[in-house]
Amino acid sequence: MTSDALVTAIRGPILLITLGALMALDQTDRVSFGRTWPVLLILFGVFKLMERAGARNA
Amino acid sequence: MKRGSLVGPLLLIGIGGLFLARNVFPDLQLLDYLARYWPLLLILWGGLRLLEILIWTATAKPLPAQGISGGEWVLVIFLCMFGASLHAVRGFSTWFPRSGIELGGLEVFGQSFEYPVSGEAATSKTPKIVLESFRGNARIVGADVQMVKVAGRNTVRSLDQQAAERANREAGFEVSGDANQVVIRANQNRISGNLRMTADLDITVPKGASITARGRGGDFDIHGITGSVEIDSDNASVRLEDIGGEVRAELRGSDIVRALNVQGGIELKGRGSDIDLQNIQGPVTVNGNFSGVTQFHNLAKPLRFITAYSEFAVEKLPGDVRIAIGDLSASNLIGPVRFTSTRSWDLRLNNFSNSLEINQNGGDVDLRPGSLPLAKIDVRKRTGRIELALPAAAKFDLTATTNQGEISNDFGGILTFDPGRHGRGRSLHGGNGGATVNLTTDRGDIVVRTGLASDSEPAARAAEGKTPAASKPPVQVEQ
Repeated sequence: MTSDALVTAIRGPILLITLGALMALDQTDRVSFGRTWPVLLILFGVFKLMERAGARNA
Repeated sequence: MKRGSLVGPLLLIGIGGLFLARNVFPDLQLLDYLARYWPLLLILWGGLRLLEILIWTATAKPLPAQGISGGEWVLVIFLCMFGASLHAVRGFSTWFPRSGIELGGLEVFGQSFEYPVSGEAATSKTPKIVLESFRGNARIVGADVQMVKVAGRNTVRSLDQQAAERANREAGFEVSGDANQVVIRANQNRISGNLRMTADLDITVPKGASITARGRGGDFDIHGITGSVEIDSDNASVRLEDIGGEVRAELRGSDIVRALNVQGGIELKGRGSDIDLQNIQGPVTVNGNFSGVTQFHNLAKPLRFITAYSEFAVEKLPGDVRIAIGDLSASNLIGPVRFTSTRSWDLRLNNFSNSLEINQNGGDVDLRPGSLPLAKIDVRKRTGRIELALPAAAKFDLTATTNQGEISNDFGGILTFDPGRHGRGRSLHGGNGGATVNLTTDRGDIVVRTGLASDSEPAARAAEGKTPAASKPPVQVEQ
């Protein structure tokens, strides 16, 4: 149960760091945010999956 | 008791520290730094929060239900919008007005379909060529012909082939007009739906032709014509070579404007990035926000470079000017030279003749007038250092004043200090009856020394090592 709570807790910060990294990439003109934003969706989905896995174990 | 995060207070301290830093060092371009580095704030914020949660886990403290609360996400979104618009306004990149977030996904899912296009029309020797509603790449070359010949292809980016074919038909590429005016229409604005169309055209025109291009964007590569060029485009890269007439371009987000060997004048307006103009016989005016690197070389007529906050004018430029954000260096200029700005700029002017007038807010100024006799020099700024290197034989009448800072006299005995005159400030004056040289800064150091206009400082010093003025020890005044 603790690991489940940990996953929900660190979900926000990790998404935030990713968002920051994508924005930084965008600013350096390497990859535009218009191309990389789906990464956020994927990450969100992965977190949801981890949450489910945690719930099943409990 | 609900325990709050450390990150909120830390953010407050950080913001307070930034504003304090700006008050202490007014030269600091806080907005520029913010515009450039704001994504790091997001990363820092997330990183701190993550660290905090990991520490809480390790010490078996209760974890919050959400790592980042709803309120904080709202703040993040505001920060993103603020950062992105600041970034766009300061002009470091162009993604904001150009694309935004591409939800259509054509770039990802679509396919490219290509269709050849061509057309020709007989013309007089000096026709006017008009490119209407154009998006794509156009290479226009002048030749000894009396016709306009267009060859190239349309590229349609679409999800399926039928739609692409229909779009190509709908657009209906056409070349029309009479002997004096030929209109080339790509008609990309006609197509509807989820499609994107660009044209790649090779256009051969008579040498005497004049070109007018209007459109959403693309690359224009024009060379070898004696007429004028006029471009009005959203996102255009413009490359011009051997143009006989006037060049006018109004751009709203160009990557580069490069012109080589133009007999007429050049007028650039709008927004964009890099500019590179060389061997221009007519007057050059650049007016707008060009945020990249701007370079000028060998301009025979006056140059005016105008931005929202600054203006730089030179009468003639046999040498070079290089301008990047907040930094201007120039050598071999013929004045009157004038620079006015409400922003901070570092200026390095090397080998200029005739009068010089600088009126600016902050930044360092490094002046090395080359040729004698010296003309009038007038520098006024609020903050920042001024360094002036005068040839040992120069005739001048100098007054240097700082209200807060040091003046060092590396020139020699004809200059004397006058401490009491400006309260707690310093003033240095003297001369041998020549041009008026006036250096004023509210806050900053002033250095007056001997030196020639040369890029290599040691060489300049060695060259004048024999002169009596240079052999005297520098006189320095402590503040």
